[in-house]
Amino acid sequence: MSINDATVPVTEELAARDDMIICEGVDKWYGDFQALKGVSATIKEREVVVVLGPSGSGKSTWIRCINRLEQHQGGRIIVDGVELTNDTRNIEKIRSEVGMVFQQFNLFPHLTVRDNITLAPIWVRKKPRAEAEALATQLLERVGIPEQADKFPGQLSGGQQQRVAIARALAMEPRVMLFDEPTSALDPEMIKEVLDVMKDLARGGMTMIVVTHEMGFAREVADRIIFMESGEIVETGTPEHFFTSPEEDRTKLFLSQIL
Amino acid sequence: MESTQLDTQTTAESNAAVRPEEPSLPPLTWMQRNLFGGGQGSIWAIARSSALTIVFTLLGLFAYQQLLNFIFSEETNWNSVRVNLRLLFTQAYPESDYHRVWISLGLVLVLSGVGLGLMKVGQGISMKKIATWCVGWGGLVVLGVFLRQPSVLVGDDGTPLLADADGVPLARDGLGTLVYLDGSPAPSQGLSVVRESYGGAISSRSGWLLIGLVLIGIAAAIWFGLGDRRRRSTFLPAIPFSLAGIGALISTTWWYNWGNYTFSTDEETGVSGFNFEPGVKVAETTRNPWTIMFVVLVGAYLLGRRLRGTAFEPRLKGLLTLGWFLAPFVTFFAILRGPEFDWGYVAAVDVPLWLAFGVGGAALMWALTKPGIGELGRVLAVLVLAIAAFTWIAAFFGWFGMLQKVRLSFLLLGLAALLAPNFIGEARQRLTLVYGWVGMITVFHVMVTIINTPSSIEVPTEDFAGGFMVSIYVTVFTLLFSFPLGVLLALARTSRLPIFRLLATIYIESFRGVPLITMLFFFTVFVNLFLPEGMELALLAAVTIAFVLFSAAYLAENVRGGLQAVRRGQYEASDALGLTTVQRTGFIVLPQGLRVSIPPLVGQAIATYKETSLLAIVGVFDFLRMARDIIPNQPEFLGERKPALLFICVVYFVGAYAMSKYSQRLEKNLGVGER
Repeated sequence: MSINDATVPVTEELAARDDMIICEGVDKWYGDFQALKGVSATIKEREVVVVLGPSGSGKSTWIRCINRLEQHQGGRIIVDGVELTNDTRNIEKIRSEVGMVFQQFNLFPHLTVRDNITLAPIWVRKKPRAEAEALATQLLERVGIPEQADKFPGQLSGGQQQRVAIARALAMEPRVMLFDEPTSALDPEMIKEVLDVMKDLARGGMTMIVVTHEMGFAREVADRIIFMESGEIVETGTPEHFFTSPEEDRTKLFLSQIL
Repeated sequence: MESTQLDTQTTAESNAAVRPEEPSLPPLTWMQRNLFGGGQGSIWAIARSSALTIVFTLLGLFAYQQLLNFIFSEETNWNSVRVNLRLLFTQAYPESDYHRVWISLGLVLVLSGVGLGLMKVGQGISMKKIATWCVGWGGLVVLGVFLRQPSVLVGDDGTPLLADADGVPLARDGLGTLVYLDGSPAPSQGLSVVRESYGGAISSRSGWLLIGLVLIGIAAAIWFGLGDRRRRSTFLPAIPFSLAGIGALISTTWWYNWGNYTFSTDEETGVSGFNFEPGVKVAETTRNPWTIMFVVLVGAYLLGRRLRGTAFEPRLKGLLTLGWFLAPFVTFFAILRGPEFDWGYVAAVDVPLWLAFGVGGAALMWALTKPGIGELGRVLAVLVLAIAAFTWIAAFFGWFGMLQKVRLSFLLLGLAALLAPNFIGEARQRLTLVYGWVGMITVFHVMVTIINTPSSIEVPTEDFAGGFMVSIYVTVFTLLFSFPLGVLLALARTSRLPIFRLLATIYIESFRGVPLITMLFFFTVFVNLFLPEGMELALLAAVTIAFVLFSAAYLAENVRGGLQAVRRGQYEASDALGLTTVQRTGFIVLPQGLRVSIPPLVGQAIATYKETSLLAIVGVFDFLRMARDIIPNQPEFLGERKPALLFICVVYFVGAYAMSKYSQRLEKNLGVGER
């Protein structure tokens, strides 16, 4: 479907050439509770951004707004030049360009690993089945579990499931990957295998937003760290700046609690 | 030295992998533990559990004895069932057209055989289970031999011998009056039948006793022969084992003198009567078709087995599914009914219509799936649906007379057009929809043409099918149509669009609030009054529609339960991948939701199967009606209800039990890969 013609054009001054995601004063309420209070951030192409913050600070809500799993009620979100509005065509377009990995994996339990990966490329990207399957094999090799293609998700370990989930998201050949606490539901010995795949991805130049509690990963991989609390962005900076000389008191308090 | 080595090896093995077996209890210990209080606790606890065991055992034995007394009683005329088997199963289907029934059955057997052949080889039947069966059935037979009351003695004239109140035997004199053996007149009251002595009864049943003992012997042989291996790895393949059993049963028609039972009407006098020739083999018209059926089944099974695991398997499975879907239509309308086509009309009307919708629809589908068609496609689809809706409204006002199948074709075209946006893409993808449309419209037109063509088979009643056949067909068609309708209703009820939700809720609640029998009367009596002129519902069609609508309401609730069990994360993952609502529903939500709702769905299927016996009340000659109304009115079997009723109970039970077993298997198979 040629949706490009129908999308809402974004004003030139707002979007620099390599701005992948632009959030402008994004507000979100759950009932009377305001989960996001005017969140503004711009993520460049090929940038890896790690979002840190205490539980309930709105990290997950924010990235779930970026692909419209949650609907924002104020401000603007522009992904790759397309603004998220109620227009379903824009939502469909953005979703097929933004891959997402969930805390609980959310693999489809009734499909084999291969079918989990090929479903969306075949039906959304309209790829021929053979091509989609070749891609699935290639992706499974990339995440290190080519031998599990014919198994069902229930037969895999948590770490393997999460790697399949990453492969599934990559199969759509997205321009941005969102990670919503990808290692929080994993046993400690499986965290590394998932983080390794993510590091590999980051080195490959993928634009990534990662919500995580893995400080080591943040320090090593992130281009930029965004610290959120109570629905607001408190501080932004490089890992070096963030871990060695944070400016805000709330950031210092958070770091003292976890480090 | 050697033995020590062996011992070490065994220990090492059991340490490595094999779970230590729990010792199997000796029977007496088992009984003591489970039936008589287990020797633990106070004397009162033991007394209490023992008393319960004894009382309920006696109750069970009593029920068993009464059942046996009825089944084997000289007063129970099983000929009423034997002679009427054809009537019970197929009603008045003419004998000259019987090959149609056999062809239908053969088709179903081919499908079942291939399906069985393709099935995953399960664990099989364990020898332990066979031993349990043998000991259970053998025990029942032996018990029965001792429990059943002694038989009534029958005189030379075939009537039971009588005795007076003191047990002095009576006889009949030349005029048929009852007298004492010395000729003095017998009292007219206090008479009773004479039974053989208990010992005599046992010895005359020694054949049964032998069967029971042999079964128990087999069980004992298996049990002791297997020794410690009882709990592992001794299995018989289930399907070949069952096939061999069926084969053995059918082979008896070739060498055992079952006797021949027929029921026939004399053409000249119009008197019908039954003939029973004992001591002969069953007629060839029974034996040969059954033998052929068995060969067909085994052949199909071997074919399936041979093709299993080959490159053909996926294609064969697709063919099988299609076959199962078409089989009810083909057998019911094309084979059993024998349509008499008016070829001139077919060529002038039916074929052009089919071509018009086939080619025109294919072109429309091709156009609608063109990349970049955008909103225009949806507008066109809605336009076609609007035309379809208009033709239906027009029908009620008598405008634009057209064939019913044209209206239905427009409706199908509209629905297919709505699906089109999912197939936009390369030629390959677009062709899927085009081929799908051509296939669907062809099947639809062929079926409607056949249904609209009068049958060549002459039967006395309005409906050409009756007996168990009609019960089965109403069940099958009900399930076939109510299942998709129920799923649609469930989806509508969980939809985000309020109008769908409202309509579905009203439909479901109102149909669940009306008794089925009321619906049946409504559809058989009143619906024809509401239909536009020229439209009329045949009795069988009317009752099937009533069943479909009723069953769909219940199915919808079962499916809704399953849909609600699908976790939120599944929706989010589908959305995040960019699947459309239709794709999400079809690929992710429904497969998972339906799996959860298998047990209630099969429960509903079994309920429908049993509820078809209500057809007897609205004038269909179904299985129950044969047993309840038709057989007891035959001159030979006046008032003879009980044997036939017991027989249909058994047949209904076998069907329902098979369905329930199948669903258990299905659940187990689909359980693979569950979280």
